[in-house]
Amino acid sequence: MNTLVVLLLILFGGGIIAYFAYNIHKIVGDIWLVLVGFAASIYYIGYLDVSQVLNIHLAGFELTLALNSFSWIFGLLIAVLLPLVALYSIPYMKGQDRLGWFYMLFLFSVGGMYGILMAGDWLTLFIFWEIMTWSSYLIVIYRRSEDAPRVGLKYLIFSAIGAYSLLTAIVLIGANVHSLSISKFFEVLPMHSLGFKVLIGSLMLIGFGVKAAVMPLHVWAPDAYSTTPMNYTSMFSGALSKMGIYGIGLIVINLYYHSGISLAGEIVAWFGAITAVLATYYALIQKDAKRLMAWSSVAQLGYIVAGLGIGTKLSVFAGIYLAVLHGLFKANLFMAIGAVERQAGTTNFSELRALIRKMPWTFFSALISVIVLAGIPPLSGFVGKWMLYESMITSGHYVIVVFLFLASVAGFLYAFRFLFGVFLGQEEKEFEHVKEANPFMTVPMLLIALFLIVLGTFPGIMFKYIARSMADLGFYGVTYKMSVLTNDWGQSINMQYIAASLVIVFVLFLIVLTWVAYKNSRNVTTKDIHTSGEPPSEEDNYHFSENFYRPFQRAFAFVYKYAITPVYNEFARGIEDFFQYVRRLYTGNAQTYALYVLLFLAILFLIAKNIH
Amino acid sequence: MNIWNLLLSAIVTTLLGFIIGVTYMGIRRKIVALAQNRYGPPIYQNFLDILKFWSKESNIYHGVMHHLAPLWMIAMAITILLIVPTQYGSKFFENLSFNGDLILILYLMPFGQLGMALGVGQTGNPNSAIGVTRGLSLLVGSEIPFIMALIAVMIQYHTTSVTDLVRIQQEHHTWIMFSSPFAFLAALCVLPAMFHAGPYEVIIAPAELASGPMSEFGGKYLGTMMSAGSIFMFAKLTLFVDVFMGGSTNWLWLIVKTFTVYLFVIAVGIIMPRLRTEQAIRRLWGWPLVFAILAFIQVALF
Repeated sequence: MNTLVVLLLILFGGGIIAYFAYNIHKIVGDIWLVLVGFAASIYYIGYLDVSQVLNIHLAGFELTLALNSFSWIFGLLIAVLLPLVALYSIPYMKGQDRLGWFYMLFLFSVGGMYGILMAGDWLTLFIFWEIMTWSSYLIVIYRRSEDAPRVGLKYLIFSAIGAYSLLTAIVLIGANVHSLSISKFFEVLPMHSLGFKVLIGSLMLIGFGVKAAVMPLHVWAPDAYSTTPMNYTSMFSGALSKMGIYGIGLIVINLYYHSGISLAGEIVAWFGAITAVLATYYALIQKDAKRLMAWSSVAQLGYIVAGLGIGTKLSVFAGIYLAVLHGLFKANLFMAIGAVERQAGTTNFSELRALIRKMPWTFFSALISVIVLAGIPPLSGFVGKWMLYESMITSGHYVIVVFLFLASVAGFLYAFRFLFGVFLGQEEKEFEHVKEANPFMTVPMLLIALFLIVLGTFPGIMFKYIARSMADLGFYGVTYKMSVLTNDWGQSINMQYIAASLVIVFVLFLIVLTWVAYKNSRNVTTKDIHTSGEPPSEEDNYHFSENFYRPFQRAFAFVYKYAITPVYNEFARGIEDFFQYVRRLYTGNAQTYALYVLLFLAILFLIAKNIH
Repeated sequence: MNIWNLLLSAIVTTLLGFIIGVTYMGIRRKIVALAQNRYGPPIYQNFLDILKFWSKESNIYHGVMHHLAPLWMIAMAITILLIVPTQYGSKFFENLSFNGDLILILYLMPFGQLGMALGVGQTGNPNSAIGVTRGLSLLVGSEIPFIMALIAVMIQYHTTSVTDLVRIQQEHHTWIMFSSPFAFLAALCVLPAMFHAGPYEVIIAPAELASGPMSEFGGKYLGTMMSAGSIFMFAKLTLFVDVFMGGSTNWLWLIVKTFTVYLFVIAVGIIMPRLRTEQAIRRLWGWPLVFAILAFIQVALF
């Protein structure tokens, strides 16, 4: 039997069975969910035959299922995340109702993602795209919170805009190329006219850009990411958004670079860079950990889009690397926020404080993920950032790289905001009862964190697969080394030496400092501090959480003045007004309707007369 | 590369960096005192201070991150000092200069600052946290013109490696501060901010924030932090000299050059009054950014 179909059967069949399993008992459902998660993951990594192709003839269309190395790497990301998220979900979703419904949709959306990656033709891709969109939409509105309908509607509207433009592009391809096959389309594309390429490209980029939350199509993302249960958000932001990246990668590289319109790639890269900067600026003024990370997701996806848009060998390499990495660390961060939400009951910065002593493992994995997010060496995030920046500097994109640097430096601000707001600061009596999360939640997080640490010094583990996937995009002869990164001008850095130097000095001084300071150490509380002669009493709490970056906001007030949401709202209101006006055509008077018919016929007659 | 040779040279470089850095700080205190019509402490005062901190017996412990905070700083400072080429052409003092480049150095700098910020956070002192947010905000101000200046230089000379930049300058007997004057000016303008000195000392602001980030550190922690700060300061000066002033072939020449740059930083610090954070960011994004853009234009045209 075709292995691709088996994988889809595991996920979709598993989803349907999960619905019934959860209706029997929660434990049965949980066991089934973990089983499906691990089965799908092991099957994908160990047994899937990439060379297999499946053709189905359906109603005159030929549907194809086929994986290639480029899509395989995104599938790998899902395969790594799925079992970990499944384990995490067991304690996280405890006490929620309609679990069967939730997990059915959960597995459907994962199946949809795999379907997209396997799609060999645009129609299959579109079908699975819609399965993924609808199941994720239903999950967004799963928690019947106050603003869920509004958030869901926003997500649905933007998804619909994306889907329609994707569908329009597919129909145009069908009409002009007479085949819906993706590989055939890219083969014959260079022969088509410039207008056709640009039209198809823009429509497809809008379609994929919605899921990748590229500005100005990002409006749904911060709300949807923060409203959804965190175990799904880790897939949502970690894996589902990568489907948009997958599509953008396919389009930008194939359509633009291999058909000679490199300017279009530059424009896409600029969209990515501006997304990165503005989303970072919005992230650092958020008052809620979930929303902060949601905005940060938008920003990080901006880097990836910029990397793919530049389109040199190194930048595409960096883009794919960052895409996989973002999937891992952002999933980890959302899991950590979920753990905090579960244990402390809130994710609001003005309420949360000083959980570090209560949740040390969650803090550790969040810390590692944040360091990776900020791109600080010697962890893996830096490897991606280095390749991205060097690729841009060496290819002469030095204005765009300044924007990305700006986003990255401002990223330190929200990285600290998040860690400080949740885990550090003055302790509060209210949170004394908080305990570390369930091991089912912490162990998956720690596993990811560990992998992120190792990947920093030995990025070659990942490079192997990326180098293979580059060939599918038309970049041949990609070389890589285990720990040495080289740019296009020939300069290189060796991560092993850097990591060794940092670790040796760190450990050496740790031993010395612990040795000499251990004996007379006095453990003090967070209230026992130097506050210029005004020690806080038991009831006082001097935690600093309001107006965290006030001076920064003042300095960059001009950025915060503008937002795209009011523009969309204005547009919606305009359309509403317009249809209010159109509604008046329906007067209810038969004579008016007769007039309309007459007018219509007259116009038709005029057109028909002029046509030949 | 011989590993023992590397270790030995690393230790020698670190010790030299430490001695020079601490002496510079002592000189700075003296100069500031003279400018304010005081006698000031002796030049070796900072050595005594560090010695005193390390011999303190009692120790305040706020938690793991607090304990680790100075270690991040010192790991970052020493690693940067090892990456920055101190001696052009010297096989012994090569250290890690062929294993890192400018982008790496730029990204290593926040390694220590973030680590320290976390330690500061765990103490629960609101003044410290306010200091950290100011520091991070200022980072956005200072980093962008500085990075633009460096990118302009990188593109002009087709290299991202500091070692290569030094080699090019030594071989052509020129300094980049003359061949790319605008990049130099941009970097020079933001230099005080990178040292948190001069008008950009709002982070530690002793009068209102009680030394800001440092206020909860004492004894051995503060001693480690001061040592790290001195080494880091010298590493930054060396980086600046390497990129814009041709590096150096011996320690004496390096000291002359770095001290000249440091004198500039001290002088600006004495003359200029402290700025508020948003004023500082606006000032850093004023003329320095203009110079950086001019540097880009210079690279694009010539």
